[in-house]
Amino acid sequence: MRRPVDTGDPDRLYTVTGGRSRADDPFDLVTLVVSECEPTAGMQSEHVRILELCRHPTAVVEISAELKLPITVVRILLGDLLATSRITARHPRAAQSFASLPETALLKEVLDGLRNL
Amino acid sequence: MSVPAPTSQPRTAKASRTARAVPPAVLLVTAAAAGGVSAAAPEPARGWTLAVAGASWLCVSCAVLVTSRLSRRARRTADQQAAQIGTLNAQLAQQHAATLHVANVALPAVAKQLRDGAGADEALANAASVAEPELRRITHTFATLVQDAVRQAAAVRSEHHEVQRETARAAAELEQLTQRTLPAAIARLREGASADVVLAELEWPSLPLLRTPAELFIREMAHSERRAAAAQAASAKALSRVQAKAVSMLADLREMQERHGEEVFGDLLRLDHSTSQLGLMTDRLALLMGGRSSRAWNKPIVMESILRGAVGRISAYQRVRMHCSTQAAISGYAAEGVMHLLAELMDNAANFSPPIDEVHVYVEERTAGIVVTIEDSGLKMADAAMRHAEKAVAGQATDLASLQGTRLGLAVVGRLAAKYGVSVNFRPSSRGGTGVVILLPPQLLAQQREPAPATTERRAEAVIPTPGPAPAMESDLLGTDYPDHPDIPWVTEAEPVPARPASATPNGLPVRAPGRTMAEAELERQQRKAADDTPARDESRPGARGARDAGAQFGAFHRGRRAGAGGPSGETESEPPAPE
Repeated sequence: MRRPVDTGDPDRLYTVTGGRSRADDPFDLVTLVVSECEPTAGMQSEHVRILELCRHPTAVVEISAELKLPITVVRILLGDLLATSRITARHPRAAQSFASLPETALLKEVLDGLRNL
Repeated sequence: MSVPAPTSQPRTAKASRTARAVPPAVLLVTAAAAGGVSAAAPEPARGWTLAVAGASWLCVSCAVLVTSRLSRRARRTADQQAAQIGTLNAQLAQQHAATLHVANVALPAVAKQLRDGAGADEALANAASVAEPELRRITHTFATLVQDAVRQAAAVRSEHHEVQRETARAAAELEQLTQRTLPAAIARLREGASADVVLAELEWPSLPLLRTPAELFIREMAHSERRAAAAQAASAKALSRVQAKAVSMLADLREMQERHGEEVFGDLLRLDHSTSQLGLMTDRLALLMGGRSSRAWNKPIVMESILRGAVGRISAYQRVRMHCSTQAAISGYAAEGVMHLLAELMDNAANFSPPIDEVHVYVEERTAGIVVTIEDSGLKMADAAMRHAEKAVAGQATDLASLQGTRLGLAVVGRLAAKYGVSVNFRPSSRGGTGVVILLPPQLLAQQREPAPATTERRAEAVIPTPGPAPAMESDLLGTDYPDHPDIPWVTEAEPVPARPASATPNGLPVRAPGRTMAEAELERQQRKAADDTPARDESRPGARGARDAGAQFGAFHRGRRAGAGGPSGETESEPPAPE
């Protein structure tokens, strides 16, 4: 019986997070992350890639997609980097001004009105 | 042989002649004496004297005559007897000579002829003729006896020779059997030949005393080999099912980890870990049973992933500290084997060290290959245990018979090490425990390629002109039909980039990764098509690229959002504008 050849990666997620399954840091999907230093030798490859990726502000969700890792794992990894001050995180303006945006119902009404024009 | 009788003949003749001359002389003397007496007698007495003298002479002459007659007769008798004695002597001598002849000549000759193989009659006829019937009888009897004896001796000798020959043949066959046939037969049986084939192929002893037990042995051996092979094949088959199940479970778990949120993530990880350990156990058994590993990789795996893949399969993975700074990668074909090997050795190190101590794994790149050192701080291995471990990992004892109970890991290490040419050495660790030094030879390493940063670099510079992330996102979100499929052009173009500059060995020979040809052909076709369609498109490329990169960014964003849809953060719900 010949099995299909594996195309994925051999590393399981718990080896990436070192067994942690919970992120305590306040990252959400759209938190923007910026690296504060260059990767150094001996770092975990995911950390290296995050630091390279985040030379420009990058959203957590984007990092997750680039690294092909679940959000939770990325948040744990970002938590590590944040704890050693290698990155800074900031919430996007959109998220901050989210509260002041008009209601969805109102927008819908406006849209309907525009369609009816 | 000497005949002494004739020497006495002349003396006897002289004596008889003397004896014959005596009576006349006596008669003459007595006659003369009687005449003298009668002449000398006085006349008156002469007549009387004459008468007396004459009478006495007569008496004397009678006596002489009688005596001489008697003596003559006696002499004659004596002569006759002497002659008889002579004859007898001669006969005796003749007989003696005959006897001597028989003893010295005839019998040895007969014996010799008989010994030379002639028959008794022939030998008797050939031998010097023996006149005397007694001697002839004796000779005959002798010949018969000797012939019998010779025949018997010949029979015994031939029997003896035959026995000797047989013994020698048996010894030769036995030697052939033990020195050549049996080892060859066992080797053939190990290769999987059946008992009948082996019995037909090889030359077996003709002696039933040897042949029967040898045949019995071969049949029994074939039976046990077959049983062992069948058991192995059955377990390998069964294990391959378990392996396949474990692999699919791992894939499912990974997929669930992507899909589900943080609340079940920990549980999924635990399940994942258990399944990975299960995978290691089944792989271990499968390898021992002659089966395959459960996985096979079709691309080079970097050392970090190798180590993680290895450490993820052992129970105490959190105690293992890895120190790996090399970018080297192991070729796909060897990756699984190396991972398994390292997993076994790490498991060993973790199991034989105190549960609070860490196991350290160091990876160094050397010209001889990659050196992985696993050090624990447990008890030092005893010399005997170290020797046993060395022997097990040397891969020489590949026989299942040498397995010991539950200690299967090192045997698997031995097999894998022998298969991939990895050298594994144990030594006392400076940390107090045992160190294992694993040398992965250079032929297991994948060709170094330009690593991925090329794409990110390019992406990064493309992103620079955009004023800020958030507006760019918004505008692209509204204006672009962003791609979320990997087969659209910007992805296919981006992918060959890392591969392009890499393809040369240190010697300058081109290197082509498997499957590259198709991809390149496809790419070339697309490029040609694009050039034919819109030749002016090249000028607009930088701008287009910027747009594509923004698209890529959003593609990633979108994929990530979809993947994390079940995530805990509530904001995501309202993030994308729901198109009506």
